[in-house]
Amino acid sequence: MSDVALFLAHSVALESEAADRYDELADAMEVHNNPKVAAMFRKQAHYSRLHLADVQETAKDVELPKLKPWEYQWQSAEGPESAPVERTHYLMTPYHCVHLALQNERRGHQYYADVARNSPDPEVRRLAAEFAAEEAEHVVMLEKLAATIEEPQPDWDLDLDPPVVTD
Amino acid sequence: MATYSVSVALTGSGGAGAMTAGQILLDSASKAGFFGLMTRSMGPQIRGGEAAALVRISSVPISSLDDHYDLLVAFDWGNITRFAAELPLSRDSLILADPEQGDIPEAVARHGARVAELPLKALAGTIPGARANMVGLGAVAALIGLPIDSLIAVLTVQLGRKGEEALAASTEAVRAGARAAATLPALPKLPEAAPHDGQRWNISGNEAAGLGALKGGIKFVAAYPITPATEILEWMAPALEKTGGTLVQAEDELASINMVIGGSFAGLPSLTATSGPGLSLMIESLGLAVASETPLVVIDVMRGGPSTGIPTKSEQSDLNIAAFGLHGDAPHLVVAPNSATDCLSATQWSVYLAEALQTPAIVLSDQAMGQSRVIIDKPADSPYVASRLVAPAGDGQYRRYALTDSGISPMAIPGTPGSNYVADGLEHNEKGTPSSQAGDHLAQLDKRSRKLDSFDYGDNWADIEGDGDIAVITWGSVTGPVREALARARARGQKVKLISLRLILPALPGKMEQALAGVGRVLVVEQTHSQQFAKFLRGHYTLPAEVSVFNRPGPLPIRPGEILTRLAAWE
Amino acid sequence: MTVQTALSAQDFKSDVKPIWCPGCGDYAVLSAMTKALAELDVPREQIAFISGIGCSSRIPAYTNVYGFHGVHGRALAIAAGVKLARPDLTVIVAGGDGDGLSIGGNHFLHACRRNVDMTYVIMDNEVYGMTKGQASPTTSPDWCNSKLTPEGTGISPVEPVRLALAAGANFIARGFAGNPAEVSRLIVEGVRHPGFSFIQILSPCITYRPEEREWRNAVHASGEQPAQSMTEAMHRLASDDGFTTGVLFAGNRPAFMPARAAKATLADIERKFVS
Repeated sequence: MSDVALFLAHSVALESEAADRYDELADAMEVHNNPKVAAMFRKQAHYSRLHLADVQETAKDVELPKLKPWEYQWQSAEGPESAPVERTHYLMTPYHCVHLALQNERRGHQYYADVARNSPDPEVRRLAAEFAAEEAEHVVMLEKLAATIEEPQPDWDLDLDPPVVTD
Repeated sequence: MATYSVSVALTGSGGAGAMTAGQILLDSASKAGFFGLMTRSMGPQIRGGEAAALVRISSVPISSLDDHYDLLVAFDWGNITRFAAELPLSRDSLILADPEQGDIPEAVARHGARVAELPLKALAGTIPGARANMVGLGAVAALIGLPIDSLIAVLTVQLGRKGEEALAASTEAVRAGARAAATLPALPKLPEAAPHDGQRWNISGNEAAGLGALKGGIKFVAAYPITPATEILEWMAPALEKTGGTLVQAEDELASINMVIGGSFAGLPSLTATSGPGLSLMIESLGLAVASETPLVVIDVMRGGPSTGIPTKSEQSDLNIAAFGLHGDAPHLVVAPNSATDCLSATQWSVYLAEALQTPAIVLSDQAMGQSRVIIDKPADSPYVASRLVAPAGDGQYRRYALTDSGISPMAIPGTPGSNYVADGLEHNEKGTPSSQAGDHLAQLDKRSRKLDSFDYGDNWADIEGDGDIAVITWGSVTGPVREALARARARGQKVKLISLRLILPALPGKMEQALAGVGRVLVVEQTHSQQFAKFLRGHYTLPAEVSVFNRPGPLPIRPGEILTRLAAWE
Repeated sequence: MTVQTALSAQDFKSDVKPIWCPGCGDYAVLSAMTKALAELDVPREQIAFISGIGCSSRIPAYTNVYGFHGVHGRALAIAAGVKLARPDLTVIVAGGDGDGLSIGGNHFLHACRRNVDMTYVIMDNEVYGMTKGQASPTTSPDWCNSKLTPEGTGISPVEPVRLALAAGANFIARGFAGNPAEVSRLIVEGVRHPGFSFIQILSPCITYRPEEREWRNAVHASGEQPAQSMTEAMHRLASDDGFTTGVLFAGNRPAFMPARAAKATLADIERKFVS
């Protein structure tokens, strides 16, 4: 991550993609009649958008490069804070939801910490360290929230009805 | 009754040139100012099979075969027993046989027709390069009173490319045949052809259907070859290309109907042509066209069924699948031309209807008229041209399936900004979003039937001719013999009304009630084994108490005299 | 008329919410698709998105372009009709392995050889999801979890990319739903490549094939430039394990498009019938 514009373009994508993904998951949970988890995902989307606004504020005087989806230099297949689609389930509970979000924030923190350590550009290192610190705060907040939510019974995904046949 | 027409059957195995001779005979009749009709009957062999060219020449327009053939010319007797039943002869008929070809088979001789022997092959052998079929043609012309000059004129045009020698050989053969015929028993001669100044056309029903499609505005065709519909496609392929359209040969009928759905969705009036087996494959997707309200036209040139059935011969037995084959409540159009000529106007009208009503139209033609070639007065121009109600650019709130009074909703064509939608075969709401809710289902079912039921179809729904307390209700190519039977019945003083149904679906009970006012007895005539049409009529219309049905499956054509016999019983 | 300027992926999403199971790979494909559409920079109204029947075939309704959700197995035929009738449109087709390779198998072969300029995405989960988890043409023969084939199908699965190559597709790629950025790239390249482009996307079904979550560990990027000759592509695909992602073949056959120019009037055509 060699210059500030490129770094900030990644940060914008990281937050906006995380927000979009949380919204998609919230929609999916609404469709599948899991309103509690839907609301939690919706809230996560909201927080991601707040963070996005912060990043955009930081970047307001910088002309960001327009990257194609496959040009982002993530360590993983997607942005570090985008919740992996396959980690969701229609019967998932607030416990699973908060732990999923927690993992996302930890990956986000890890990402910024790596950049703060490894970037050749001092300004990028400074900004990344700042963002890493913020992500650390999010991690702590989510850890606190997670501590208040009890782990569900092992049969949390038991569905007494078979899947439905459609088209 | 004075002779106004002469019927000639030319038969022979493939290679004998019976079909070519028939074609030249018809063209010559046209050249001489006559009307005419030629059908064919063929075996299933690709080459060398038994074949008959069945030609009727007339001083008045005709759309039916006669009761029997005045003249049967056999170039040989190969396998004639297979279709002897399609070659009725009377005691007054004349069989012209080449003695070299052996005895006349019993299946032909049983009619007790007169027999004349003419050594066609031997005569041809005396002229270098001549063929027996040309000798036969000359004899036919002399026997029926067709001017030899008209034959020579047609040959000159057709053989011009082959060079002087070929033309000279054929001309000499024709003259030799004509000379030889002078010693043969006489036949009723054609009357003088009435002078006319209008244009005459020589066209097959399949070509007429193709032309009707083009005149209606068809721009996209996808199809899979099938007998007896292929000629529509073969005619349309170059014609479409020349007029800025496209024809694609699909991998099967499932593909062709869906390509047509795609072409129409994309904005072009689209059509496919097929026969019974292909229509069967298309049925599921016709339901998709109904549900997604995608206009399209399917021409089904019917042949004997079920299954592969009799691919080369006619029957009206696809009525049930065309009307009732679709699953669910699926209102659509079924239109039936009632002559080779009407293949043009009925197809053109079907394109107009399908586009106006945004639903599929099945055009039920059949082998008998599709593969008939007719000499007719140039058909009058018809005003029907595709005109689809399209949606303007929108603001993202477009409702493709909006519930309108007419049931017709403006259709957005891809490329129109802000009105994009997803067409769907799933039941949907006004926007097109899939819905399994009772209210949406009912509203859309109502809408789709309302648009068909409330449309004004004008007078095209049926041909209604004559008056009387007896009505013959018929449809499709069988209308030809019915018309002729009714003309004869009227000539002998019987009052009979013709109702030839062109719009099969939707049924119009109000119009039929008017048409049947004062009618006490109905004769239904159709070419099916199970009385599909009569049952259809009973299901949709209130008929008088006395209904008689004359039905027979293909491939035997229904003859005017047979209908007349049934009417006579009511005299 | 609204003038569209640089649309985002969000602009290509509709307000219809997917009915897919949470966790389904198809969500990621949808996301990759809308990003690809934004990247292609084609106006929304110039895109036709065609599908058949099945879970994945619901995808057009979730996008904000013209679409057609047809009957089972016939999406490629509808799409060919759209493109041949309207060459100006960008045509994309999507569906599942059953829709495209079983009931629609014949159309797949002929779409490959016809080489009409369009892009076909099979979202392959090796199972029929909408009818409760039966074996599909890509299911391995020993998969025994369907009531319809409790002993397994005993039939060798179809390898979609090999089939596409043999049938003549002009662009062949494989992606994985878990790597949506690569899927976006494959779609963009497929759409831009002339002729028929086929993209197989491994898209796990977490309901009937939960073991497919493990695909994440099986997929591996090709690491090579796309094969450009049939021979080279066949050679490479012969030893392919079914999990290589990337563009596998990029051919140079010209796209099929019948000539069409009005050179005659109907009156000219009619004249041929004058007797």
